[in-house]
Amino acid sequence: MPEIKEKIRVLSVLVEDAPNTLTKVSGAIRRRGFHVRGISVGPSSQPGRFRITLQVDHGHAEADQVRKQLERLVEVVEVEDLTGDHVHSRELIVAKVAASELDALLKRGAKVLSTAADGTTVEFSGEREEVGDFVDELTRHGIVDVARSGPVVMRRTQ
Amino acid sequence: MILEALEREGVEYIFGYPGGANLPIYQHLREHPRLKHILVRHEQGAAHMADGYARACGRPGVVFATSGPGALNLVTGLCTAYMDSVPMVAITGQVNSTQVGRDAFQESDVIGATSSVTKHSYLVTSIDQLPRVIHEAFHIATTGRPGPVLVDICKDVQMAEADRVTPERLEIPGYKLNGHVDLDHARRAAKALAGAERPVILAGHGVLLSHAEPQLQELAETAAAPVGTTLLGIGAFPVKHPLSLHMTGFMGTGWCLKAVQNADVLMMVGMRVDDRVTAKLSEFAPNVKTFIHVDIDGSEMGKNVRPHIELVADAKQALAAMQPHVGALNQNRGRWLAQIDAWREEHPLRYKHSNGQLQPQDVLIDMYRRARSEAIVVADVGQNQIWAALWWNYDRPGLFINSGGAGTMGYALPAAIGAKFGRPDVPVWCVAGEGGFVMTAQELSVAVEHQLDVKVVLLNNFSLGMVRQFQDDFYGGVRSQVDLKHMPDFVKLSEAYGLPARRVERFEDIGPAFDAAERTKGPFLIDFRIDPEANVYPIVPLGKSLNEFWESPENA
Repeated sequence: MPEIKEKIRVLSVLVEDAPNTLTKVSGAIRRRGFHVRGISVGPSSQPGRFRITLQVDHGHAEADQVRKQLERLVEVVEVEDLTGDHVHSRELIVAKVAASELDALLKRGAKVLSTAADGTTVEFSGEREEVGDFVDELTRHGIVDVARSGPVVMRRTQ
Repeated sequence: MILEALEREGVEYIFGYPGGANLPIYQHLREHPRLKHILVRHEQGAAHMADGYARACGRPGVVFATSGPGALNLVTGLCTAYMDSVPMVAITGQVNSTQVGRDAFQESDVIGATSSVTKHSYLVTSIDQLPRVIHEAFHIATTGRPGPVLVDICKDVQMAEADRVTPERLEIPGYKLNGHVDLDHARRAAKALAGAERPVILAGHGVLLSHAEPQLQELAETAAAPVGTTLLGIGAFPVKHPLSLHMTGFMGTGWCLKAVQNADVLMMVGMRVDDRVTAKLSEFAPNVKTFIHVDIDGSEMGKNVRPHIELVADAKQALAAMQPHVGALNQNRGRWLAQIDAWREEHPLRYKHSNGQLQPQDVLIDMYRRARSEAIVVADVGQNQIWAALWWNYDRPGLFINSGGAGTMGYALPAAIGAKFGRPDVPVWCVAGEGGFVMTAQELSVAVEHQLDVKVVLLNNFSLGMVRQFQDDFYGGVRSQVDLKHMPDFVKLSEAYGLPARRVERFEDIGPAFDAAERTKGPFLIDFRIDPEANVYPIVPLGKSLNEFWESPENA
């Protein structure tokens, strides 16, 4: 059995800001038997264009099929396959915890956003694994509420 | 404004059906006499007509339909065109832009429903977008790997007034065309082909779409490489050429399949290498050391078979780029060609005709004798399709039209009507089984209305023949829901529609029936009552490799 990680492609996709773009991108992924493991969408540095960061499990298909299938879409301007490259990859988590549990989280680098009677809201960002560890820590301490983003990835300049 | 844009694109025919959400377009149709509108009887018929038109004459087919059910009736036709890379522009009416999303009368999410079966689609909610969108739609439908493009136009946009603007320049940053040939890859491919001991070239629809037949023949002759075609590639290489392997795939000729399975270099040009071509993928062409794949769509590289040399380019340019680099041929080439000739002798196409029943092959052979490569055959899907593919010698491109990728039953009649509009100078024959025929038989009205010279050859076996054959051969002989005993009397049905028809049950009546069809101006139908047990051979059993093809049990 190959490790599940090996089947994940990390793609940075520059797309036109059109009403159907997200449907087309997600449709192409679903139709080819791929599976989205993480996604984040936001404006790019170019006006009228958005950047989608995708973590996609390519399933039984050849690894480069994800990029190729996305490149076929007219809405897609550019696809960069960042899998295995040296990258900055960040995910963001916002969580509400009981005030008494705060210390351990602050030690990991969490930042307090607000404090209220029903708990303290903190944010934390980091690599996928770091965010995963942070979630484990939260689970041990009891989470009131949590929201987590998809990845945002950029290639490191050498 | 829409109709003016269509005129600018050089549109001649529109196949369509009016309704609530596209009435504003129809209101002005008469003011544009250059646009000839063909009123269909069902929107699926419109899509197949546009498809047949495009395949026959090479220009994009144009379709009109209204919102909701009208547009959704196009889906099968769009899918058929999409799978076979046929250029088409479908213009559908949509509810007013302010009503979108409110479940208005006859509203449906047409873009959502058709995204997976179109090359691209647009929802037009403002008149400002319209000129650019129509122009882009035709550009995208006809360039690169062609395909259907859908333009969904809100009713208020259809009614809006605007200055007549011609879009200046196309700017579609996300639409990349692969025209450039990598010369290094072309050189390597040519050397591999020439140096091969046992080369085979397979040609698909892409060769026809790029009009690369002369380049293919020149290269094949220079490299002394035999050529097989896919079902959709039929016509890309003359069947009677000494290097022809005829058709490949799981119902291809025995000598072609043997050649593919024993080849050491296999070049696949303008094709998707789908499961119908490979049969069991893990045992496809197991002796190949070098796969060469030429296709204009880069996503086809390695989708099914990973090539050693890839040429992402137009077939014509790629083959032309290879031509000068075919060097000295492998010295064992003569032995390979002799081996293929031996296989051709050993595994000829054959069928049984000793049981006194009318055989479909008899019908097709007689038809071919008359047509002599001067007619277009539009086949439906099923046994009739494979018989029509194998028992005609298509020596020129564009003479065989069928739904290869989608396998859409009911395709043949409307597509034949469209083909006739596209090529009025050429006789058009529609070959169909009775099962597929009744799925779109209402379009006979269109053939009668326009007195089109479309001759319908019904290969009527009172059953869903291909399904019956699969059940007999691969599903334990359990015949389930394949009997079509209760069908209309096709001669009377034709009369009801207003076209002459004839029934043929005996071999000796084939000729006179064709004589009558050829004498008749306008549409004609012949109901051939064929042997209900007639099968398609060769055939590779499901899940098996190409080596394991079955042949007709009886020698002819």
